[in-house]
Amino acid sequence: MRALDLSLREQAAAVAAGDIDPSELLEATLARIADRNPAINAVVETFPERSREMLAAAPEGPLHGVPIVIKDEWPLPWRAQRFGAAELLAPTAPGESGPYRALRDAGAVIVGVGNMHELGAGSTGNVSVYGPACNPWDTARCPGGSSSGPAAAVAARLVAGAVGADGLGSVRFPAAYCGLTGLKPTFGRSALEGHHMAAITSLIVSGPLCADAADCGLLGSVLFGEDLAPGDPRGLRIGVVRSAVSEDVAPEVRAACDSAIEELRAETGGEVREVELPDLELATLAAILAINGESLSGVTPQRLNELNPELSAIARGFIKYRMLLPAAAMVQSGRVRTLMRRRLAALFADVDVIAWPTIPAVAPPLEAPLVELPSGTLTADQANVRGAALANLTGIPAISVPVGLSAGELPIGLQLQAAWGRDEILLDAAAALERANGRRWVEARPPLAQAEAAEA
Amino acid sequence: MDQFIPAGLASLGIEADEIDLAVMNAAHQMFWPGILGLLSRDLSAVEPERNADLSKAPLQ
Repeated sequence: MRALDLSLREQAAAVAAGDIDPSELLEATLARIADRNPAINAVVETFPERSREMLAAAPEGPLHGVPIVIKDEWPLPWRAQRFGAAELLAPTAPGESGPYRALRDAGAVIVGVGNMHELGAGSTGNVSVYGPACNPWDTARCPGGSSSGPAAAVAARLVAGAVGADGLGSVRFPAAYCGLTGLKPTFGRSALEGHHMAAITSLIVSGPLCADAADCGLLGSVLFGEDLAPGDPRGLRIGVVRSAVSEDVAPEVRAACDSAIEELRAETGGEVREVELPDLELATLAAILAINGESLSGVTPQRLNELNPELSAIARGFIKYRMLLPAAAMVQSGRVRTLMRRRLAALFADVDVIAWPTIPAVAPPLEAPLVELPSGTLTADQANVRGAALANLTGIPAISVPVGLSAGELPIGLQLQAAWGRDEILLDAAAALERANGRRWVEARPPLAQAEAAEA
Repeated sequence: MDQFIPAGLASLGIEADEIDLAVMNAAHQMFWPGILGLLSRDLSAVEPERNADLSKAPLQ
C-alpha cells in the first residue's frame, strides 16, 4: 500500500481528504509491522483490537486515523510500560499518560509499543528485556537508544511517526543512528504526565521521531498542545564550539557536519560564529549525576537486595552504585546546572543555534558498541553523552537532523540547540537544511525500506 | 579506593555478588575521577538559582 510510504503529514492530509480509508491504513500498517518487524525488533507489542477501537473513537484532530508507535516508557490505558526492563524500581500500572492523551485527542491511532534500551540507561538500544532492537540501515548495528524501537520503526517505515522520550539524549541518538529527525523539546513544553519515573522531575521530555522537520513539527504540535508554526530562519546566527563535542569526532562525521553547517549558513543567508562554552565535560557529569540522583527517590537498600535476576548485570550493578554517589557531588551538579544555564542565556543573545555532531561516530555493532575517535576507543555511551547532556541539564531544546551517510552507508546526524522556548527555530533550521541539500538525507531509505517502496 | 565500594555497600546493607562488584568497579573507574574533579571545583561564586524554571532562561 503506497500510503505506508507517505510522510506523516501526507498520511494525515490524505485521510482528512478522504483519499485514504483510515481502516485500510491501519490494517496495512499492522501487516507491514508483521512483515518487517521480525528483522529489527522495533515494535515489541501490537494490540490490533485496541487500535481499531482507538480509530473508531478517533476525533477529527490533526492526526485523525494516522498510525503512531509509542515508546515502552509511557503507560497506555490497556498496558503498563515496562521501560525495556524485567523489573522497575517503581510500580507501574496501565493508565493515560500525557503522550497517550495528546495522541488520542489528535485522532491518532497507536499501533504498537516501541522497544527501548533497558531502563532508558543507554544510547545504543542493544540491551532490552525484549532483546535488542536493530538498525534498519544495518541490522547488525545499534539503532541508538534509549528510544530504539520508535526510531527503528520510523526508519523502516513501519509508521511515519513515533513518540520517544529524552532524558539524556534518548530521542537524538536514535534519530542520528537511524537517519531521522528527532526533537528534544524545551523542558516542560511537551506532554509528560504518566512517566513511571515520576521522581525524575528535571530532565526527561517526550519528543517526536519522524523522517523530516515538517513531520516533527506536526507530531510535536500534538505533543506540545500548541501549533509549532513554521517560521523564517533567514539570517540564522549559527554558533560553533571548538571542543571535544565537535572535534573528538570520527573524520567522516566531522566532515558531514561541517558541510551541513556551511549549507545551513548559505541557505539562510546567515553567519557562523565561533563561540566559547567551557566546562561541557562538567555539564555532562552534572547531568549524569542529576538523573541518577533523582532516580534514587524511594529506593531502599532492601529493595536493591531483591532485584530481579533477569535485569541485566550492568543495570543491577549500576543501580547499586548510584547509592554510593556523594551528596556533595549532587549539590555541585546543581551549581553546574545554574552556571551552564547562565552561560547559555548569555550565548543565545549572540547566536540563534549552536551546532555540533549529534553522535561522534556512526552506529556501532550491536555485539560491541564501541566507537573509534581521534582520542581513542570509547564505549558509544561514553562518547555519545558528551554532546547530548547539556540540553537536558539546562532545559534547552535540541534537534538531530540527518546530514549524510558514511562510507559504510550509515546515517550521520547534526545537532542544533536553541534557547528555551525556541523549538520552532530548530524546526525551521532543520527545514532549511533539507532545502539546502535537496532533501537528500531525509529521503534516503535504509535497505529494509527500499524494496517495497520501489514497488509501490 | 579498593575498599570504597565494598565498605559503602556494607554500611548500607546492600548485597552484591561478584558480577555486581565488577560492574560497580567499572562504573567507579569511569565516574570517580570526574566526581573528584567536580568536588574540587570552587563554584561558590555561582549564586544559586532560586525556584528555577527549567522551561525558561534563568533570571539573571
